[in-house]
Amino acid sequence: MSQLKERGGRRKAPLSPWKSVNPNKPAKSKKAIEGVASLDHRFGIPMIAPFFIIFLIFGMAPVLYSVYISFYKWDPLGGSTFNGLQNFVTLWSDSDFWLAIKNTFSIWALSTFPQMAMAIGLAAILRSKRLRGASFWRTIFLVPNITSVIAITIVFQQLFGRDFGIINGIIGLFGFHHIDFIEGVVPSHIQIAAMITWRWIGYNTLIFLASMLAIPDELYESASVDGATKWKQFRYVTLPQLKNTITFVLVVGTIGGLQVFAEPQQLAADGGSSKQFLTLTLFLYNQAFVNNKYGYAAAIGIAITFIVLIISLINFLITRKISNDGGGR
Amino acid sequence: MRKKSLFKGSIAISTVAILAAGVLGTPARAADPITITIWTFGDVIQRQLVKEYKDLHPEITLQIKKSDLDPLNGSNMVTACTSKTGPDIVAVEVQYSGYWRSYPKCFTDLRKMKTSDANVAAGIPAGKTALDFQKNYLPWRWDQGVGYDDSVMGFPTDVGGLEVAYRTDLFKQAGLPTERGAVGKLWPTWDKFIATGVKYNSKLSAADKKAGKGFVDNAGTLYAAIMNQGTEKYYKNDGTDAGKLIYDTNPQVKLAWDTTIKATDAGIGTRIGQYTSDWNIGMNKGTFATILAPAWMMDYIKQQAPDTAGKWDIADLPGGGGNQGGTQLTVPSYAQHAQEAYDFISWYLAPEQELKVFKTYGLFPAASVLYKDPALLNYKDPFFNNAPVGKIYADGVQKVKPIFEGKLQRAIDQAIGAGLGRVAAKKMTAVKSWAQVLVDIKKVINN
Repeated sequence: MSQLKERGGRRKAPLSPWKSVNPNKPAKSKKAIEGVASLDHRFGIPMIAPFFIIFLIFGMAPVLYSVYISFYKWDPLGGSTFNGLQNFVTLWSDSDFWLAIKNTFSIWALSTFPQMAMAIGLAAILRSKRLRGASFWRTIFLVPNITSVIAITIVFQQLFGRDFGIINGIIGLFGFHHIDFIEGVVPSHIQIAAMITWRWIGYNTLIFLASMLAIPDELYESASVDGATKWKQFRYVTLPQLKNTITFVLVVGTIGGLQVFAEPQQLAADGGSSKQFLTLTLFLYNQAFVNNKYGYAAAIGIAITFIVLIISLINFLITRKISNDGGGR
Repeated sequence: MRKKSLFKGSIAISTVAILAAGVLGTPARAADPITITIWTFGDVIQRQLVKEYKDLHPEITLQIKKSDLDPLNGSNMVTACTSKTGPDIVAVEVQYSGYWRSYPKCFTDLRKMKTSDANVAAGIPAGKTALDFQKNYLPWRWDQGVGYDDSVMGFPTDVGGLEVAYRTDLFKQAGLPTERGAVGKLWPTWDKFIATGVKYNSKLSAADKKAGKGFVDNAGTLYAAIMNQGTEKYYKNDGTDAGKLIYDTNPQVKLAWDTTIKATDAGIGTRIGQYTSDWNIGMNKGTFATILAPAWMMDYIKQQAPDTAGKWDIADLPGGGGNQGGTQLTVPSYAQHAQEAYDFISWYLAPEQELKVFKTYGLFPAASVLYKDPALLNYKDPFFNNAPVGKIYADGVQKVKPIFEGKLQRAIDQAIGAGLGRVAAKKMTAVKSWAQVLVDIKKVINN
């Protein structure tokens, strides 16, 4: 994605709106940036040191300590004994671990894809010039994001209650059997995914909206001159321009998806009677803070790290492919 | 300009001075203001009594920090004991007593503490150790706060005597007797209880059945009730501190499991989970006619379903005498104000105060000296159709046999609870689910 390409007419929306570059300005040469001359090594290193010191103490040290205790049978009160690779061997053969991976990805898929589709739709509505009170809607969309997860869970549990929940009330009106949104495997995932979606949809809508607003009007004008309907404009102009943003939202959503914890924990601390919504993070938490198996939990933490690494690699490959394809088109 | 910076400087200096005074100042005399931090859950510490104590000791501030039971008695206490910093008093629920009895090092041995003269005016003599107070309490409840090395970790607050709370109006509709003596006679055994449930359900209209109504709120609650009627749970007292695990061979476990499965299969429960929103609504709507109610649940029912006042009554538990819950107030070893904390506990859990708590909040006193006190025996609760709740629960808890509680009792309870849940949700057969329970328990015990 060279500057050269950018200069030859604005072909694509920038990856994120706040990084937008004015294409008409000539690209800066490799000279030192004006006003930031102090970023050379004499002052630069002491300037950025506070972050790294804090990171080393609160970020790196616990990570290394976790690696250390993952080789131990570690009970903070009962003492610890060296355990070699036993924690990892146990983990590999622990059906709960594989179940947790399955659940985590199921909840991730159920919360990410429908949410993305809805967020793009909502962003398109917010973009519409005929919408009144646009800033009001944009603000109110963010409110779920600042609501406490516990509060959300309490409210959603009432919505999804098996006997008196509103949703089952509506299902009952149509003469269907009530759905148990806690005991059922897929229904429980849907309930959790609904909470995540509700919380994050506004945030993602705004990301998409910002990206849509960066699409030049000329594209729409020429499309309508060519006789494209509103839907066709959305399909062939808006969506392709959002490709990079979609990737971004997907990456962020995946990171969040691997951390799903509070919602299932609030539904049932053990992850359900058949562990039907035991997620990876909840599995880790329960081993450490309920069963007092800190060594085993550390091993789970390392396993999660590897899973994240694999996913990051996949994300990286996809992102690079999109960039090589020339982004927009 | 110069003046301003001087002013700033003086603020900085005085701030440092104040901070230094805070750090260096030694909390010495009893008259100094003291803050006692209490970690608790639910209604264990009652606001009314806290106020009363504040009147007695204006210099003492009681800082109450509530959390959910599991994080409180689990990770929070583990962290506090490991880092040796934490509150002055912790409430330990009996389900966790087996676990914490294994770690007496985390608690101040109250045998070695002596009451100060702080509460002499309120009837607590000075110079008394925990052993001097022991005679006031129900022996098996006292033992739940005694460590494996015989140190005394805490005093018992309440005892969760278990009885059956039932709706007289719904019983009448179903053609069952409503008078509490007659109701108790309906179910001398658990099998009779299940049979009564089947009879009740058969009288329900088709619409009621479709609305999910049933006899008891949750058939799974039978398990804990039956379990606690035995003499052994998951551990055998073989003379060692840890005890011997017998969860897979103890006939009482089998009996409790099988009876609960039988009740589940008979469909007497509504399958509503306790403490869910559905449960609270169901309580108001009469979705279920009975709850196996420990004494402390009476207040919960009053709060959640105030409109059902007078429609409830209390009858004896099948199988005679039951227990579920109860708490110990303990002084951790890392307490900063152990003396003041001990003084507070010896006052707060004195029989006189426990009686007050029972009358206002329904927590049934563990102080057994009260069980002969007319003030308790004659106490009637209008919400429960003027049932003599004091006498009913007093009779019940005295039938309970002491049980040896092991370290992982809570974890085993949870694994079995999940197993019963799977059967109730028809996700597994009872046999398969039990096999899964054994696998799950093994996972917790091993590694």
